Amino acid sequence: MKPSELLSRIIITVFSLGVVALPLTIWAQTPLIHAKIAESGGWSPDIIQAEVGQPLHLKFTSDDVMHGFAVGQMEMQPVDIEPGKVSETTLTFDKPGIYTFFCTRWCGLNHWRMRGTIEVTGSTTSLESATKPLYVTLGLNLDAPHNAPLVPTSPPSAVNGQELASTLSISQLTTPDYYRSHSPYQLFDDLRFTSLSTSQRWDVVSAIWQANSTPAGLAEGKQLYAQNCAACHGEFGGGNGVFADDLAATGAASMQTMNGDMAMSMQTPADFTNPQRMLGASPALLQGKILRGGMGTGMPMWGSIFTHEQIWNIVSYLYIFQFDYSNP
Amino acid sequence: MTKFELTRFPLIKNVLKNRYPQLVVFVLMLAGFLFAIVAGLVGTPVGSHNFSIVFVWIAWWAILILVAVPFFGRGWCGVCPIPVVGDWLQRGAVLEPAKKTPRWLNLRVPAKFRNMWTQNISFTLVALFSSVILTTPVVTSVVLAAMLFLAIGLSMVFERRAFCRYLCPVGGFIGLYAQTAPLELRVKNKNVCAQCVGKPCYNGSDLGSGCPWDVFPGGLTKNTYCGLCMECIRTCPHDNIALNLRPFSADLAKPSAKLDETFKAFIMLGAALVYAYVLMGSNGAVKLAAYSVFSPAWFGYAAGFLAVIFGLLPGLFWLSVKFGDIKKSPTGKQFATAATALIPLGLMFWVAFSLSFVLTNATYIFAAISDPLGLGWNLFGTAATAWQPMLSSLVTPAQTLVLIGGLAWSARTAQKSAPQAGISPAPVMVYCLLTTFVMLWLLL
Amino acid sequence: MRSRAILLLLLLTGLVVAFAPLPAHISTPIDRSFRVEASQFAYQPGEINVNPGDKVTIELVSTDVVHGLYVDGYGVSVKADPGQTATLTFVADKSGSFRLRCNVTCGAMHPFMVGKLNVGANTWLYRSLALASLGIVSVFVLARTTKVE
Repeated sequence: MKPSELLSRIIITVFSLGVVALPLTIWAQTPLIHAKIAESGGWSPDIIQAEVGQPLHLKFTSDDVMHGFAVGQMEMQPVDIEPGKVSETTLTFDKPGIYTFFCTRWCGLNHWRMRGTIEVTGSTTSLESATKPLYVTLGLNLDAPHNAPLVPTSPPSAVNGQELASTLSISQLTTPDYYRSHSPYQLFDDLRFTSLSTSQRWDVVSAIWQANSTPAGLAEGKQLYAQNCAACHGEFGGGNGVFADDLAATGAASMQTMNGDMAMSMQTPADFTNPQRMLGASPALLQGKILRGGMGTGMPMWGSIFTHEQIWNIVSYLYIFQFDYSNP
Repeated sequence: MTKFELTRFPLIKNVLKNRYPQLVVFVLMLAGFLFAIVAGLVGTPVGSHNFSIVFVWIAWWAILILVAVPFFGRGWCGVCPIPVVGDWLQRGAVLEPAKKTPRWLNLRVPAKFRNMWTQNISFTLVALFSSVILTTPVVTSVVLAAMLFLAIGLSMVFERRAFCRYLCPVGGFIGLYAQTAPLELRVKNKNVCAQCVGKPCYNGSDLGSGCPWDVFPGGLTKNTYCGLCMECIRTCPHDNIALNLRPFSADLAKPSAKLDETFKAFIMLGAALVYAYVLMGSNGAVKLAAYSVFSPAWFGYAAGFLAVIFGLLPGLFWLSVKFGDIKKSPTGKQFATAATALIPLGLMFWVAFSLSFVLTNATYIFAAISDPLGLGWNLFGTAATAWQPMLSSLVTPAQTLVLIGGLAWSARTAQKSAPQAGISPAPVMVYCLLTTFVMLWLLL
Repeated sequence: MRSRAILLLLLLTGLVVAFAPLPAHISTPIDRSFRVEASQFAYQPGEINVNPGDKVTIELVSTDVVHGLYVDGYGVSVKADPGQTATLTFVADKSGSFRLRCNVTCGAMHPFMVGKLNVGANTWLYRSLALASLGIVSVFVLARTTKVE
C-alpha cells in the first residue's frame, strides 16, 4: 500500500472516531438534571444527595417545555430551565432532612406532580419535630362541607367595618388565634349580641379579616396565587382556570370505570368567589387544605413547598374574593 | 450563449482530477455527518437546540435547495458523505483507484428497480413522517444512520452507487431539478467516444472506477443521473470530458417523457403545497395530526397527502393535457412530456417555501454551533443567541419573486414541451397558474 | 422591435401592479382587543383582523405550557404562563399580513406554531396574484411576437 493511502486511511479513522468519541466522552461526564413534564417522567434524577454545609452545584436542562427549579421552604430565586439550554445554581443547606424541589413554571395539567427530593445528611444537631397544623389541633374535618347558612348580598366593606368596630368592645374577637380558628360566618354569628344590622356585621367581619393581614402579606399571597393557583382556580378565583375543564373531564372519565364516591375524584377546582363556601371556611381549614392537598381531587399538597407564613398569606389573599378592602 | 467550458482552465481541471481535494471534502463531510448522528442520539431532545436538527434541516437544507440544486445541479451528490464509505469498500482503497476485480458481490441492480419509482416511495415515506423527523433529534439520527448503513450494505451487494441512484430519498428530486441547473458534465466530442476502445469511463481502469452512477458519459444528454463524482474525468484517456456552464434549464428543451420522473415532479409539487398548508398555516389540528404518527388522525392526514400527490395533482394535470388536444385521450408519453413544465415550477415552490422557514429559524444555527448537544458548551461564544426571525420584511417579496419567476419559467417550458407532446400549451400554463395561486395564498 | 415595445409595456404594467399605491380605505383607527388562547401548537383564534392605525391589544392566555407570541414584522412580543394572562399592546401602523409566532420553546412542533395578523387587506397577496396572471399573459404575448422554436 502506498504511504499516501495508508496515511489517508489513518486520518479518516482518527477523524471519524474522534468526532464520535470526543462528544460522547464529554457528554458522559456532564451530569445534568433533566426536567420533563410529569407525564414523561418528571425530574431525572429525582433524588439528589447533599451534605450540610457543602455547596451543592446543580445543572439543569429541559427536554421539552419551559420548566423552573426551586426548593420548598427555602429562600432562593427560582431558576428557569429552558428547553435545550443549561442553567445552574448552587445551594447550601444548614439543616439536615429531606427537602422537596419542584417545578416553578406551569408545564401542563400535572405540573405540580413534578417534584423530587434532596436528602441532606451530616449534622450533629438533632432533628426538629414538626408542629401540628392548626386544623389537626382543632380536629377539623377538611373534607366535610362548610357552607355558611347566611351570606352578605354584596362584598362587605372593610373600611365601613373599621369605623363600626371601633365603637364596639370585641377585643377577644380580633386576636390572631380567634381569626385563624373561626370562619367569617362564625364571627358574623358571634357579633349577633351587638345592635348592628346584618350588613354592618358583615362589614365588621371584613374589617377584622383585613386587620389580620398586612399589605406585604397580601401582596405575597397575590403573587403566590398567580403563580401556583390561578392556572386551575382562575385568575379571578372563579374555579375556572385554564385547567379546570381538563380536571373535570379526567374526573368524569375516571368515574366511568369505577363506582365510588364522587366527592374525592378529580373535579372542577374550588370557586373562591362562592360566598357560601368561602365564608364558611376558617383560615385553619383553608390552611389545612393547602397543606394536605385534595386526596385525589386534583388539589396538590403544598406542605413541603410553602412555609407556614406563605400559606397564611395565600389564605388571607383568598378572602379578597369575598371582601372589599379598598378605600371608597 | 451556449456552453462555457470550465475545465479548459488547467487549475480547475487539475483540482477536479486530483483525488486529494475531493478526499479532504469527503472526510470533513463524513465527520460532520457522524457528529450529527451522535448529537441527535445523545444530545438534547429539543430539536431547535440540537446540532442534528439545526444543521441538517435548516443549514444543510437551505444550502441544498437555495444554492446547490438551482446553481450546481447534482453538486451536493458530488460531496455527499453517505456513499463514500461504500465506495472505499468497493474499491479497497480511499485514495487509490479501484482494482479491476470486484471485492464484493458486485451484482447488477435488477432491471425492474432501475428507475425512480423506489426513490419516489422512499421520499414519500420520509415526507409522511416528516413532522416527527424534522423535530426529533433521535429520529433524524436514526434516519441518517439508516441511510449510511443502507448505502454501505448496498455497496457490498450491488455494483456502483446503488443507494444513490435508486434509493436515496433526496437524490430523486436533486436529479429531477438538476436539469434546470447551469452546470453540466458532458463529453466534448461524441466521435471520440465512438472510437474509444474499452470505454474506461464506464468500465473503469487503472486510473479510476467506472461511473458509480451507472451512466455512460458518452451518452449523457441530461443532468438527471450524473452525480458529478469526477471519476470519468480521471479515467478518460482522451481528455474528452468537460464541466461546462450553460443556460438555465437547458436539459428541459428535450423532455425525458418518463413516467417515474413525472410522478417525482407531482410528489414534490404536492409536498410543497401540503407542507405550506400544514406547517406554515395556523391550523393546529392538522399539525397535530401530522405529528402524531400512527394515530387515526395521522392516517387521515397521510391519506390526504397521498391523495394530493398521486391523485389530485396528476388527475388535474391529465385534464389539462386532455384539454390541450380534445380529440384524443393523452398517452403516457404525452402526459410525461407535458409534465416537464412542472420541473421548474416545483423547484421554485420549494425555494419559496424554504425561504420562509429558513430565514425564520436561521438564528438557531448560531446557538447550535456553539452548543451542539445542548450540554451548556459555548464553543464560539454564540450559545446564547436568542431566536429572532431574520430579514422578515424581505421574505414575502422574495417569495413573490421566486413564485412568479417559477411560473414564467414553467410557462416558457410548457411552450417548448407541449408542442413536442402534440398538445396546446395553454391548459398546462393555466394549471401552473392555478397551482401558483394556491401557493401564493398559502405562503403570503 | 415590436416585441421589445411589448416587453417594455408588460414590464411597466408589472411595476404598476406591484407598486402603485391603492386607494386606501380610510377607516378611523379604533382600539381593538383580542383574547388569544395558546396551546400546543396553535393560537385560537388563528387569525386576527384589524384596520391600519388600530391600537391592538392581545391578551395571551396559555392553556397548557408557557407560550409566547411574537408578531413577525412588528418585532413586538409577549410571553404568558398558564394562569397568568399577559397583555401586548401596539399600534398597527404597518399594513399587510403578518405571522404570529411562538417564541418560547413549547414542545416538538414549536417552530411551526403560527398564527396570522391581517392589518387591512392583504394587498401584497392580491398584487402577487395579479402579477402571476400578468406573468402568464406576458409569456403568451411574447411568444406570439417572437417565434417559439
